[in-house]
Amino acid sequence: MAHILREQGFNAFVIVGGLTAWRKAGQPVETVPNNDLVHLPTFSR
Amino acid sequence: MNEFLSLIARHGYSIIFATILAEAIGLPVPAALALVAGGAAAASGTLHAPVILALAVGAMLIGDSLLYVLGSRMGWGLLGFLCKVSSSPETCILRSAESFYKRGRATLLIAKFIPGVNSMAPPLAGSMRMPFAQFLGLDFAGVSFYVLAYGGVGFLFRDFLAVIARGFLAAGHLAEAVVVVATIAFVAYRLWLYRKYRIYRVVPRVQVMELANQLQSGDAEKILVVDVRSHGYYDAGATRILGSIRIEPNNLPQEIATLPRDKDLYLYCT
Repeated sequence: MAHILREQGFNAFVIVGGLTAWRKAGQPVETVPNNDLVHLPTFSR
Repeated sequence: MNEFLSLIARHGYSIIFATILAEAIGLPVPAALALVAGGAAAASGTLHAPVILALAVGAMLIGDSLLYVLGSRMGWGLLGFLCKVSSSPETCILRSAESFYKRGRATLLIAKFIPGVNSMAPPLAGSMRMPFAQFLGLDFAGVSFYVLAYGGVGFLFRDFLAVIARGFLAAGHLAEAVVVVATIAFVAYRLWLYRKYRIYRVVPRVQVMELANQLQSGDAEKILVVDVRSHGYYDAGATRILGSIRIEPNNLPQEIATLPRDKDLYLYCT
């Protein structure tokens, strides 16, 4: 995806290790806002 | 095979229970064969049919319940993990969830007869928050059907047990061949993907601490951190890098139109 973005003219980089490495390094995270969540079907609803 | 059958004769109940429990939690052991052998042992009077039935059903329900709890603990992460091999994980997750939602109850009734599905149905039911009582009821019906079917084969055709055992052995060899071919195909597919996307290695990479330092400096306003995970947005309480936004991988053209061109984009996944 980063490659596609660069092809489109964006200055894109990839974070090595992703969210796991970010978390391991003790960097701040936030809870995904409720309206950003994708609601898949569940049997409980 | 013969050793397995003689084991059933000698250790009977404990072997049947352990074999079926092992298969129920996803290990590649011949539970169907154990049930056939158990049925034959019951027909010959070596073992008691009601005890075999109770142990077999109990072992499967215990194993399935453990997988159900695992699924409910892992949430959508489980489906995300399974969909990693898909060419479009996002689509795989959405379609699988919809499909199991529509057919999940019926699937639980026949899942035991379908290799692969037998181990996946209970954790999916857990992931999708099927009430435990409902899961247990459906699973009990499916498990009973399975145990009676294979146990019944052994009970009715005990004189043909050697033939049945040879059939299972042949089926086992076929299954092994299928697994080997599927593994080779998967490795070949990954190699093809690697070769196809080798060009992506030219995308510059940044270490976490390097980015963290930039965010704390005056450059922060020129930086946009972008979450490109194909899953991870399905469970309440899911987290992401502070201040990041999400790009929906399936809607890339539309998403690109909304991205600022005056900022550096730092992409991450799991």
